[in-house]
Amino acid sequence: MAGRLLGLLRARAPRAVLPAPGPASRHRCGTAGPEEGEAAELLAMGFSQAQARRLRLLRPGLEPQRRAEAAAQLLLLGLSAEAALGLLERSPGLLRMETARLKERAEYLRRLGLEGERGGPLPRGVHAAPAEDGGGGAAAAGAVSVHGRAADRAAAELPRGAAGGAGPRAAPLPGAGRRAGRSGGVAGAARPALSSARLHAQYAYFRMGVRQKEMVKARLFRTPFAELRNRHVFLERRGLYRTPHKGQSQSGNPALRDVLRPTEGDFVAGVARASPDEYEVFKRLLAREEEEMEEEEEEDEEEEEEEEGSAALHAEGGDRDWHSSEPSPIAPCPPAPQ
Amino acid sequence: MAAPSGRAAVLLRVGRVPGLSPVPRRYLYKKKWATTAPRIPAPRLALHHFDTTYSLQLQELWPAVRSAMLCEQKYGALLNNFACADLTAQRLELLSATDFVSEAARRARCWQESAGVGGERRKTSLEGSGGDGTTLPTETSPLLRASLSSNVKCYTFPRGDISRFHPARPDSLGILSYYLMDAASLLPVLALNVQPDDFVLDLCAAPGGKMLALLQTGACGHLAANDVSISRTKRLYHILNSYVPKEVRETVSVTSHDGRDWGELQGGTFHKVLVDVPCTTDRHSVMEEENNIFHKMRTKERQMLPMLQLQLLMAGILAAKPEGEVVYSTCSLSQLQNEHVVERAIDIAETQFGITVHIEDLSHFRTLFQDTFCFFSGCRLGELVLPHLTANFGPMYFCKLRRA
Repeated sequence: MAGRLLGLLRARAPRAVLPAPGPASRHRCGTAGPEEGEAAELLAMGFSQAQARRLRLLRPGLEPQRRAEAAAQLLLLGLSAEAALGLLERSPGLLRMETARLKERAEYLRRLGLEGERGGPLPRGVHAAPAEDGGGGAAAAGAVSVHGRAADRAAAELPRGAAGGAGPRAAPLPGAGRRAGRSGGVAGAARPALSSARLHAQYAYFRMGVRQKEMVKARLFRTPFAELRNRHVFLERRGLYRTPHKGQSQSGNPALRDVLRPTEGDFVAGVARASPDEYEVFKRLLAREEEEMEEEEEEDEEEEEEEEGSAALHAEGGDRDWHSSEPSPIAPCPPAPQ
Repeated sequence: MAAPSGRAAVLLRVGRVPGLSPVPRRYLYKKKWATTAPRIPAPRLALHHFDTTYSLQLQELWPAVRSAMLCEQKYGALLNNFACADLTAQRLELLSATDFVSEAARRARCWQESAGVGGERRKTSLEGSGGDGTTLPTETSPLLRASLSSNVKCYTFPRGDISRFHPARPDSLGILSYYLMDAASLLPVLALNVQPDDFVLDLCAAPGGKMLALLQTGACGHLAANDVSISRTKRLYHILNSYVPKEVRETVSVTSHDGRDWGELQGGTFHKVLVDVPCTTDRHSVMEEENNIFHKMRTKERQMLPMLQLQLLMAGILAAKPEGEVVYSTCSLSQLQNEHVVERAIDIAETQFGITVHIEDLSHFRTLFQDTFCFFSGCRLGELVLPHLTANFGPMYFCKLRRA
């Protein structure tokens, strides 16, 4: 569904997506007067009568075409009618934006995994939206993962956005992740949740080869990332999980839901067919591996900086050697006579 | 093509000025490799290879072994008796590491005592019927002979503990206090059971862990450490220099012959021979790209390994005295490199050289060290240590042969 919407969005004919094009078609608009045409168009988009009226009350002086365009863009972002309306009511500035600009921003948001960081009107509007329960909250939840299913739905958009864009190999999402990581300041409490959802989705999509439908079914976004990684790598090292090749539809891998849903004990005994001791040790080992990997990366970065800064002689520290291959920290000395 | 003339010639000449063109033309070449062909890293190849062979051999144990081999291995600290060993031992015990060799010896003693008591009891209870109380002591006596005579001490962290040892520091004399190695590598040395004043041959000695362990027994009358590669024998010198005092060093002769010719050079002279052959080094092969035997260019070498191993083992058998003992060891799980080589060697010794070789039973090792290592129970000949996440040592195969 989302993919179809995206494709059509790119085709620059947003209204054609919407159901029941009959009453909303341009001919009718022209003949039946602007107001009625607009109402019909809004109704066709899925707004109720009352919602359409509320929408029309926003900036009454605005040309109806633009209002409809803005609403269409929001709907295409995956918001419900009520959520889109709520958002427009809160930040009516969106209505005044040029359609092309709005579309560009929507596209950008989608590429970043429904998150903006430049602080444009749309993202700011989204971030400023209070995350309440019910209809109003859904507005925020549509773009920013806060609650259960809405979060799943929102984040499940990500891989498809990547696939629909430049193809999965181009991987625009990791780039986005890096940018988000650098931008440091966290605007709103929802942001960490979103970045973790993105990490989940990327990991599941690229590393595990899982489609987003399964991700949602497995409640991927409710599992802590460390848990996901532990379970996946454990299975992988035991030879029970293999990343499928590109385009491979069938594999002997256990379903993501069977990996994530069971309790730890059931997972270890049932899916991984191991002993609890093994998994316990494995978790500690993996945590240490990752910790050291990060440290190494930091060291590398530091080294690079040092190299850039000065051409000083740089001796490779031999501290790490002792556990890498043959562990004998022997001082170099000349061979003894026989 | 017409010779360049006029302006074109000038331009060409200008282009040839050294320093202006980035790469001299004579160094430009078209790469012949099919760069589009997928390049599979050697560890992946190795893993694939193991998946197909070991899953059949080890059946349901393979996933556990696989995950263990892909995780960080555990080390044991072989105590250097030539440095101040007591102090180091205390320090290591403070880290909650234990010496698994003396543990095993202690346990063997306990068992024998209890077995003795049990046997006596049984004898007293079954006096009239002439009970079979003698079976247990005869079972445990080789345990004692094997372990108690050993001065070797190797500290390991208990099962499930993933702490690491620090690199050893030199003491006041510049001798290092312990040597970090795979603790399972010690088992072949323990199996060899060196007696005082034995002549010992280590046919493939580099990198030197087992050689050092042999010296730690303090019983070698003479130790011949051989390795084909000269660069690897340098490593042996390094170890001797940094772990062993001069007077002991003099009992060691490091040579660099082809081990396969050893039988012809010095046949029938050694009491004990350790043949730790080159193998597919399973753990190394699945983890490291460097020096990986599963590299495409080394396919032939890999396929010829069992042959080389057989030749080395034959040379080892021939180098042993009559009644001498040979321990064959590899760090691979592959039956082709383990049992099959041993079987074939026994066969060849019998038919071609008229030498009868018996296999010594090492199953008591399984009971003695079951707390430290995870043994494979389905081995036809010899013993195989399987890597396991809670006891991530090995893989290590060893089999003891006695020349008649």
